[in-house]
Amino acid sequence: MSSAMEVLAKGELDDDIEAVAAPSDRDLARQELTIARRYIGPFPVIMAAWGLGNLTCWLALWPLTISGVLPPWVAFPIATLNVILCYLPSHEAQHSNYAKSGAPLRWLNELIGYVSTIPMVLPFKLARMTHMEHHTHTNNPELDPDYGVKADTWWQAIIEGIKRRQPGRNDSYAQTLKRLGDDPVVRRTGLEAAIQVLAYWAILAALAWSGYAIEAALIWWLPRNIGVTYISLMLSWAPHFPNPERGRYRNTRYFKARIGNILVMGMEHHIVHHLHPGIPLNRNAAAFREMRPILEARGCRFETL
Amino acid sequence: MIGKILTTLGPWGPVLFGFGFLAPLIAQVIERTGATPPLGLSPLMVGLIVGPLLGLSAKLRGRWL
Repeated sequence: MSSAMEVLAKGELDDDIEAVAAPSDRDLARQELTIARRYIGPFPVIMAAWGLGNLTCWLALWPLTISGVLPPWVAFPIATLNVILCYLPSHEAQHSNYAKSGAPLRWLNELIGYVSTIPMVLPFKLARMTHMEHHTHTNNPELDPDYGVKADTWWQAIIEGIKRRQPGRNDSYAQTLKRLGDDPVVRRTGLEAAIQVLAYWAILAALAWSGYAIEAALIWWLPRNIGVTYISLMLSWAPHFPNPERGRYRNTRYFKARIGNILVMGMEHHIVHHLHPGIPLNRNAAAFREMRPILEARGCRFETL
Repeated sequence: MIGKILTTLGPWGPVLFGFGFLAPLIAQVIERTGATPPLGLSPLMVGLIVGPLLGLSAKLRGRWL
């Protein structure tokens, strides 16, 4: 065979390899989607009950403590747990996992989104907008609003988180709104966020000057600071560490947590969430078990924390 | 409107927090622990001195801790 023929033959062979590889890639995508669809759809009752139940528990602490039924030092760890637990139900609402726009239960989706994060004072629309930016630009130092959590160790992540909340520091969520421009939706989001945060400080001051400063400190102010630190560590730092890659299958990971999946708030299977945000948290583990061979074939990260 | 309020008050946030929250908190902690403030000051006076000062310090240093 002449060299020209050899080159031609090799070219044909490469084409054949690609022809075989391409359907394989499509097959993987199809299998992944088939599995995902089995977990998307049914109303996530557990997450809704979690969100509203957690808020009810936190709200109940106020009359119980102010009336003297519950000592503030007992309310404090409960309130801290409430703050830690309040984000994830709202997170489902950010992805419209309770009800899509236009669906009959849409009001419930928005209600859970708005009220469940009252203990941590996270305005819902701001959370939704910045979280979508996180999904779109995961691990991009310039565009991912959660990139600031990047740190080499868990304790450095805690310290960095505290540093980010010091006076005068640039707020990455405010920066994101600024970057998204002068759009009516963005303006409305910023306005709602400002009102909610101002309301928090006003309520805190009103309680304090009414003689309930210790109760306000132990049910809201301190728990909020501790809870936000914990949430940032477990929901932002742990699943994306060490934040170097941006590909669909590499920008987050599966990790086996030594402290257990409950203490990392289900984030072991965060990769499933990034691939298919429509799957509610309480179904991520089962979806992951089914998807595992596909994720391995895709070269996803399987690590230990 | 809200934006103007935040822009104006934002930089003074730590001082406002010192006055609005830390001052009564310090006063109520003193009262509940039964501690006696120095120089004949009332618990609230101690709060109103220490709280805003802590806030001012945080504003000037750019950090609470």
